[in-house]
Amino acid sequence: MAIQSGGVFSIFKYIRLQYIRGGYILGRMANNNFSAPLTPAVLHILLALSTQERHGYGIMKQVESDSQGKVKMGPGTLYGSLGRMIDAGFIRDSDKKVDPEMDDERRVYYAITALGRKALAAELQRYDEVVALAKRKTLLPTTHAYGK
Amino acid sequence: MANDHTTTRYRKLYARLLRLYPKPYRERFGESMEQTFNDLCRERAKAGEGLRGFVLWMFVETSSGIINENITFIIMQNTRRLIVWAIVAALILAIPVLMQFTNEVQWGEAVAYCVLLLVAGGAYELWQWLKTRSSAYRFAFGVGLAGALLLGWVNGAVGIIGSEDNPANLMYGAVFAVGLIGSLFSRLKPRGMARTLFAAALVQVLVPVIAFFIWPAQVSWGEAGVIGVFIINLIFAMLFVVSALLFRKAATKQPPAAAGLGGLTPASS
Repeated sequence: MAIQSGGVFSIFKYIRLQYIRGGYILGRMANNNFSAPLTPAVLHILLALSTQERHGYGIMKQVESDSQGKVKMGPGTLYGSLGRMIDAGFIRDSDKKVDPEMDDERRVYYAITALGRKALAAELQRYDEVVALAKRKTLLPTTHAYGK
Repeated sequence: MANDHTTTRYRKLYARLLRLYPKPYRERFGESMEQTFNDLCRERAKAGEGLRGFVLWMFVETSSGIINENITFIIMQNTRRLIVWAIVAALILAIPVLMQFTNEVQWGEAVAYCVLLLVAGGAYELWQWLKTRSSAYRFAFGVGLAGALLLGWVNGAVGIIGSEDNPANLMYGAVFAVGLIGSLFSRLKPRGMARTLFAAALVQVLVPVIAFFIWPAQVSWGEAGVIGVFIINLIFAMLFVVSALLFRKAATKQPPAAAGLGGLTPASS
């Protein structure tokens, strides 16, 4: 991301956007630049939302299921990431509604946006290229992801 | 039953922990986070798994999020402010360092420089705060402040009643006292500030009247004499009245919640 004109405050803004926890995603996303990798939390949340919209607990369970129990996200990480992803336009939150399976309180649901799908596709493409490179160099272990 | 009681206690504790998040974050996600925590507790309880270790992990994980979000919030909201105060702090710290290399700066001067730097920082804060007020409030504050500074400067330099050494001029301290006490009591709310400035204008006019009765021979302003004293006092009083009227105008425009320091919102950087 190029530093735009505006003196010392722009430089600080740049540093702020680049190095605050998870904030570098925002700086990158603001320019629709998908060249840098997503954080693991963001990638897993996008994967969890890629099939259907979910509430916070639903995302947690889906991430746990997708990763076969290897990735466990706490509320601090989950909602911190969700906030940044909403700000970046990767996901959007919907009106509250009741989960038919849980059938108790109304919950906020999160859904992936077109920009989020684009970011996910770019990230998976990057992974694909890394795996292809590892294959070419015969570095790829014979095991699947998450050690199984 | 005991398990339910423990779960309820953990939920309450977690809800309290969430209060440590910055307000905007808490308003956005607080309720959802509480729901998620409750869901997780319920899931563990249903599976017959212990809660203590899990809850401890949740609290540590959430605390880490709280620290991160607060740091992010402070930096995002106050970048400019942090830079200004970092410069002020650096310059203040540079003074004792420079004193190691030169004898030109005495301790008295060093303290004066520090005060000036802090006043500069304070002026920046004041300006940032004024930017959140209406234009009427800003003008009112500016006119009132200008009046007070001019009064202090003229009175200190040449004196308004007789010479600057005339003890009668000390009575103008009452104008500053009224302004200061009124500002503190009104918490800078426009309606209270209007009353304060009206009171300051009244005191400003009363000072030469009282002085005229106590020291009739000394009430004179250069060649303009007694009339000059009253005219210059009326000019200052007019400044305070204009300021008061502007504050009153600001009071009619501002919503009650935002009127005063209670409604201070950090300036966006």
